[in-house]
Amino acid sequence: MEFIVFLTVAAIAVASGLTMILQRNAMYSALFLVLNLFCVAIFYVLMGAYFLAVVQVAVYAGAIMVLILFVVMLLNVAQPEQPDRRLGVFRPFGVIAALALLTGLVAVTVRYGAPPPSEPVAGGSGASAVATPAPYVRPAPPPQSTVIVDYAGAADYGHTQELASVLFSRYLFPFEVTSILLLSAILGATILARKKPDLEEVDGVRVK
Amino acid sequence: MELPFLPFPLPALPAVVPTEAYLALSGILFVLGCMGVMLRKSVLTIFMSIELMLNAVNLSFVAFARQHGQLDGHIFVFFVMAVAAAEVAVGLAIIVDIFRSRRSVDIDDVSWLKG
Repeated sequence: MEFIVFLTVAAIAVASGLTMILQRNAMYSALFLVLNLFCVAIFYVLMGAYFLAVVQVAVYAGAIMVLILFVVMLLNVAQPEQPDRRLGVFRPFGVIAALALLTGLVAVTVRYGAPPPSEPVAGGSGASAVATPAPYVRPAPPPQSTVIVDYAGAADYGHTQELASVLFSRYLFPFEVTSILLLSAILGATILARKKPDLEEVDGVRVK
Repeated sequence: MELPFLPFPLPALPAVVPTEAYLALSGILFVLGCMGVMLRKSVLTIFMSIELMLNAVNLSFVAFARQHGQLDGHIFVFFVMAVAAAEVAVGLAIIVDIFRSRRSVDIDDVSWLKG
């Protein structure tokens, strides 16, 4: 049953992704991308990453896509894309390169499969400066390598509490660095997008 | 699963979706995003294709996390989302700025650095 759901949603995800890159209208592209993001959220639920699924819908399909849609409407680019001027000759090469990459990725996946479950990392390996609470250590997975173990069925795998205990112990420093990243992004976006009244148009380009 | 109205038996499906299936799907989505970046000329569509690629990689992160029974992959997806949010904010600001000066979102019009 789970596999049927997976196949159905995977078909929708691939179809919406394909439609997104083929669509001439940027608005429709964005809406198909939203559909794709919802499909990925369903995959997260299937894999037991419940909290990530919620974050995916709230942050990706919510905040980020609203921002993109807002800019699409703000720019209101009515004219369709111009036919190729420089890209023309190289367009088939792009398709060939992408298909080669796809063949490589799928071939490696099919040939070698996923790696066997590894031994859990004992302790934080000294990377984290915070000693308490104890780093998250999962009980050792069974040794057989080819059998897919349904970890998603474990009691509270992927729940908010377990995720938070890892995030705020072993990954506390990256978490704090992220706040600096977001702050600089806010400043950068504000400075880039503000009006520049002292520019004058020269040769079709607004310069100082 | 038994479906009585089918004239042929369904092929045996695995009870749990194998990690390889997620990896293959992730590869397909990544290549779609890759093609979008290489073939499209609208800056906005290229931007959305990058989001598609980020999501494909996130999918394989979560698949590996499930495979290994650890949550580190989930944490990494968190950080990817945070970086994606920052990237969208700055990138869209740049696009708006380009549009203000060029009245176009065509990637070929942005060639000031070309010698």
